[in-house]
Amino acid sequence: MIPPKRPRDPALLRRRRLANGVFVALALLATGIALLALLLILGTLVSKGLGGMSADVVLLDQPGPGESGGLRNALVGSAMMCGLGMVLAVVVGVLAGTWLAEYGDGKRLASFVRFLNDVLLSAPSILMGLFVYEAVVRPLHGFSAGAGALALGFLATPVVTRTTEDMLRLQPHALREAGMALGAGKGHVVRSIIWRASRSGLVTGALLGLARISGETAPLLFTSPGNPFLSFRIDQSMASLPTLMFQYALSAYDDWQALAWAGALLIAAAVLAANIIGRVLTRGSFHK
Amino acid sequence: MALAVPAARAESVMGAGASFPAPLYTAWARAWHARSGDEVNYQPIGSGGGLRQIRAGTVDFGASDRPLTRAQLDADALVQFPAVIGGIVPVFNVPGVGSGQLRLTGPVLGEIFLGHIRRWNDPALARLNPGLRLPALPITVVHRADGSGSTYLFTSWLSRVSPSWQRGPGASDAVNWPAGIGAKGNDGVAVFVQRTLGSIGYLEYTFAHKVSIAQALVQNRAGAFVAPTPRAFALAADGVPWGSGAGEQLLMLDRPGAGSWPISGASFILMRRMGPRRAGQGAVMRFLDWALAQGDAAAQRLDYVPLSGAIKAQVRQGWKASGLAR
Repeated sequence: MIPPKRPRDPALLRRRRLANGVFVALALLATGIALLALLLILGTLVSKGLGGMSADVVLLDQPGPGESGGLRNALVGSAMMCGLGMVLAVVVGVLAGTWLAEYGDGKRLASFVRFLNDVLLSAPSILMGLFVYEAVVRPLHGFSAGAGALALGFLATPVVTRTTEDMLRLQPHALREAGMALGAGKGHVVRSIIWRASRSGLVTGALLGLARISGETAPLLFTSPGNPFLSFRIDQSMASLPTLMFQYALSAYDDWQALAWAGALLIAAAVLAANIIGRVLTRGSFHK
Repeated sequence: MALAVPAARAESVMGAGASFPAPLYTAWARAWHARSGDEVNYQPIGSGGGLRQIRAGTVDFGASDRPLTRAQLDADALVQFPAVIGGIVPVFNVPGVGSGQLRLTGPVLGEIFLGHIRRWNDPALARLNPGLRLPALPITVVHRADGSGSTYLFTSWLSRVSPSWQRGPGASDAVNWPAGIGAKGNDGVAVFVQRTLGSIGYLEYTFAHKVSIAQALVQNRAGAFVAPTPRAFALAADGVPWGSGAGEQLLMLDRPGAGSWPISGASFILMRRMGPRRAGQGAVMRFLDWALAQGDAAAQRLDYVPLSGAIKAQVRQGWKASGLAR
């Protein structure tokens, strides 16, 4: 028996419309709850964060107890360690992702690497900190910004690897064939055509990686727990926004708690900006 | 051209450990930085963490609220000495009873934290506080959920003054609490006590002093009910063998002396006599030497109790004996 394509039965139609209405309503409700939670979090963040915000936040270093100050040393430290970590993640991640997408098809090593990368992608970030602590901090006898950057880099690398592979696979096969038809070697095609065509996608991957690591506390607690002074030395422990927030949010001093909120707002704004830029760039690539 | 005056190269050293003295060490480090250019970076990762890091040789100095035993010191060629003094204060939330009004003894506090005394109008509490009208409110015990030096001092003291506590949970950074609810950190305990009618907990003095919360009087070894004050903490330090002792000998618990606070404690600095990171030792010692000589005002401003002149002399003697200073 083949059911009729268009239900003539008005009762059936009504039942289907009703079911449809119920499920749409439930979906809207769920969306509303998710949005409400997000708005409440963002609202708290903005209202408390703006209270601690002032020019001092970027101009002064972290204060002592009962003094006023800012987050300059933590902002510089976060920027430096995330920046160095991203250099590592982009170099390793783009090359690994390119190999997986362009050279690895059908190889057992490729599926092995892909599997490992997926495992790393969901590894708890504290594990990266612990690993770098045992591999770098202990043997070299000291916490350092370099170790912190390494831990953050390890965390971002699988994100970049994964997005790179996905983005390169989006490029039509005809593009590769066209390049080769003009006499270019495989390496030349990848560098000059495929990478260029997926440039915005690669940038998105890097931004997603950056968004992943910029709020991370756990990997830094084991590698670069902090520094009350402004430091540019890679062989010394450096301050960072997440570790300073962790310390200040639990402190007894109201000024410190206000600064922790200001720091939280800054990180949220930076991550939001990175995500929006990433979205805008990928949209651009699909419309081309 | 004449040689310019050689600018002393500023050094950076790092310490880690107990969170209790962290605000003070940070304040000292800032003042010392302004004076000498050296940067002393202290990270509050907990007493246990401080010990682990100085043993692993990843920091120039460690800090612990719990004095190390002789065996622990010898195992890693460590030297320990006190840097500052504080205390643990029982705090409570009972309507109509303010700070300095409630009197408690060690055995009674033991019974409360064991969950045996359940109401504020219990006869044992009424006997201690004949002048107070204690309500028939149930007692809610609030304790630290995380391992902490405060818990170690508090439970060590309870073990000394309450036989039933000693037979039960005993003394440790984190014990098997028979009653009550756990809260994370001093701030967590403070919030729980402030919000729960009929609750009782314990806080570090520097923290209890900053939040508005009622503090109890506690009976000391001499039988006097004393209030937690810097002077009462300082009195508890008298007679402790600071120079030669180790382990439990350095605990300032249940000390004699009519005015001494019974739950006092020092925070210790740990340094290595040999092994890695010796290069930073000179800078650390210059910093501590200055802090001992000039740091008292900063300590008092932050509600810590500086070491007395006699203790400082013992500390400096210890430096010489262990080769940390000439």
